[in-house]
Parts: sequence; C-alpha cells; structure tokens
Amino acid sequence: MSEKAHYGLLKGKKGIVFGPLDESSIGWQIAVHAYREGASIAISNVAAAMRFGNTDELSALCGNAPVIVCDASKNDDVDSCFKELKEKVGKVDFIVHSIGMSQNIRKQLPYEELNYEWFMKTLDVSGLSLHRLVSYALKNDVLNDGASVLALSYIASQRNYWTYSDMGDAKSLLESIVRSYGPRLARRGIRINTISQSPTYTKAGSGIPGFEKMYEYSDLMSPLGNASAVECAEYAMTVLSDLSRKVTMQNLFHDGGYSSMGATIPMIKLAHEVLNDQELATRVGLEDFKPSA
Amino acid sequence: MTEAEIKDKVYDIIVSKMGVNKDQIKPESKFSDDLGADSLDTVELIMELENEFDVQIPDEDAEKIGTVQQAIDYIVKK
Repeated sequence: MSEKAHYGLLKGKKGIVFGPLDESSIGWQIAVHAYREGASIAISNVAAAMRFGNTDELSALCGNAPVIVCDASKNDDVDSCFKELKEKVGKVDFIVHSIGMSQNIRKQLPYEELNYEWFMKTLDVSGLSLHRLVSYALKNDVLNDGASVLALSYIASQRNYWTYSDMGDAKSLLESIVRSYGPRLARRGIRINTISQSPTYTKAGSGIPGFEKMYEYSDLMSPLGNASAVECAEYAMTVLSDLSRKVTMQNLFHDGGYSSMGATIPMIKLAHEVLNDQELATRVGLEDFKPSA
Repeated sequence: MTEAEIKDKVYDIIVSKMGVNKDQIKPESKFSDDLGADSLDTVELIMELENEFDVQIPDEDAEKIGTVQQAIDYIVKK
C-alpha cells in the first residue's frame, strides 16, 4: 500500500468511520485511505463486530486510531460515541457511515414472508442509523463547518434486485435521509452524499443469496467492470476532501458505468444460466420460472 | 439459578437471536447445522449469554460451544 500514490487530500482533517469489520469491508479501506491521505481518524463498530472482526489491526494501520464501541441503532450509544470522539479526536470534518445488516437476508427469508421485527432492525441499523449519527453529531457539536458526511449505498435502492430483499428498502431510506438532511446541513456548508457502489465481496455482501452470480452479472454489465472496495475508498477520498465542496444530496454512482447500461449479449446468456441453476432458483423463490430456450 | 431456569433462558436467547421456534430446539441441536446460525450469530449468541448470565466466555471456550447442551453446561459450570 505504501508505494501507492497519495495526495494529502485530507491533510489536517479529522474524521470517524463507522462499520469497518475486516479488510474486505469498504469502511476498512476508507479508513486506511483516509489515514494515508493525512487525516486523523477514529473507528467505530458494534461490540459483536469488534469481536468478530479485526478492528484492532485496523486501528494499528491508522496510526493507533481510537476505537469507539457503538451500536448505531441506539441513541445513547451514538450520543456517548460522539462525546468520546470529541474528547479523543476533537471536532471532525467527515463522518463515514458503512453500516448495514439484514437478519432477513442472513436467514434467507422470502420477501413475502419477512420477519417484521428483523425488517425494522434492518431499516434501523442500515438506514435510520445515518439520521441518528448526524442528529447526535449536531447535538454534540462535533461537526466542523464544511464537513462531509458519506454513506454507502447500492443501486437496489432504486431498482429491484430480487435477492437484496429488505436491504433495498433500507438503502432507499438511506438515500432519502441524505436528501432530507442536505439543505439543513448546507447552511453550514456541510455536505451529505451516498456512494452507490458496485457489488463488493465483503462479509456483508457475500451473505446475499446468489451473490457470486450477481457479481458476475454486474461485472458483465459494467463497461469498466465492477469497482473494488479499494477503488471505492479512493473515490471516497475526493468526496471527503475539499475538492467536492459543492457536491451534496447526491447518490454518486461508483459502479464502472453499470447504472447507465442497458443490456449486453453476455449478460443475457448469464441470466439464462442463473435461472437454470435449480438450487439457486429455489433459494430465491424462482423454482417455477422457466426461461424459454 | 437452577439448571432448568438456565436452560429456559438459553432457549429464549436462541429464539430471539435466530428466529427459530422453541420446539425446534433440542439439547443436542448444533447451532450451525441444526439451527442455521451463521458465524455472526454465533458471536452474538456468546455475547448475549455473557450479558444475560454475567459471565466472561473467552474465545477459546466459545469455540468449544457447538450445541445447546454445551452452552447450558458451560453456564452451569460457571
């Protein structure tokens, strides 16, 4: 990593990254890149993820970044997180929200039969939590003027991706919260955006049924190919930096061109292969669907 | 707390964490194979047991807890 070019884009800036689990996480890559671009950062995750993942290693990679335990679905946790952040790091210039979880996807419940308790949890953890972060950041006066708030999204917020289930609803909510907050934060020059990233091999991503095939499909549909977690982090640096001061309330596609493409022959061929995979078809509730030859 | 009470509580935790019905749970049920726990469920379950019973379960012990009965035995022993 050290040989890679860096530009000091975040020199003198401070920030916090919520949700990095292990090095496959986009949040992890954003934290590492932000540090390399000159920022001092703090890292936050839920207690279970800390135990499950590798947060200490990330902290070491980011100049012994403070690690703050926080469940972003709990008001008190978020409140005390920002108090601790202010004490340990000071006021910040960016907040990165890289948080998402669906128990319904993990347990592969069909969309028609979602567990509503889990559905609420999906919306809360993956969507509302962004509102909560911003709300408590403001209450605790943690954000500097001109700060950048960034969350990670996926195109299933706007179009149907069968197996993305209730996470699609959560991403719609996330993107809507970005629009609702935008003008309110703009009074202080604070920007808020989402990056809509290609499907990415993360711990969370690989939990989606048929993920590998979705990944291939997306790769075939993207003129530049799927964007990796590292590439996402590189792009994120510009969004966190002063080079994007007038970019706000946007859902920024970082997807190799995927979102503007129509159809390609290889993609159609692949679709037929997926639909003929009986095991996958059953898992996603398409066992009765027979594509014509 | 009696062993029966512990068992009851452990079952409740499993029901709420993994979304299974109580009658699906047997002492010999394996968390991963029989109750569909993924790796994050397992960690969350261990942490919930720690909270609920106010014990510390180090990772090397947690790795040995593979069935419902093993979880109950571990809590009882502590």
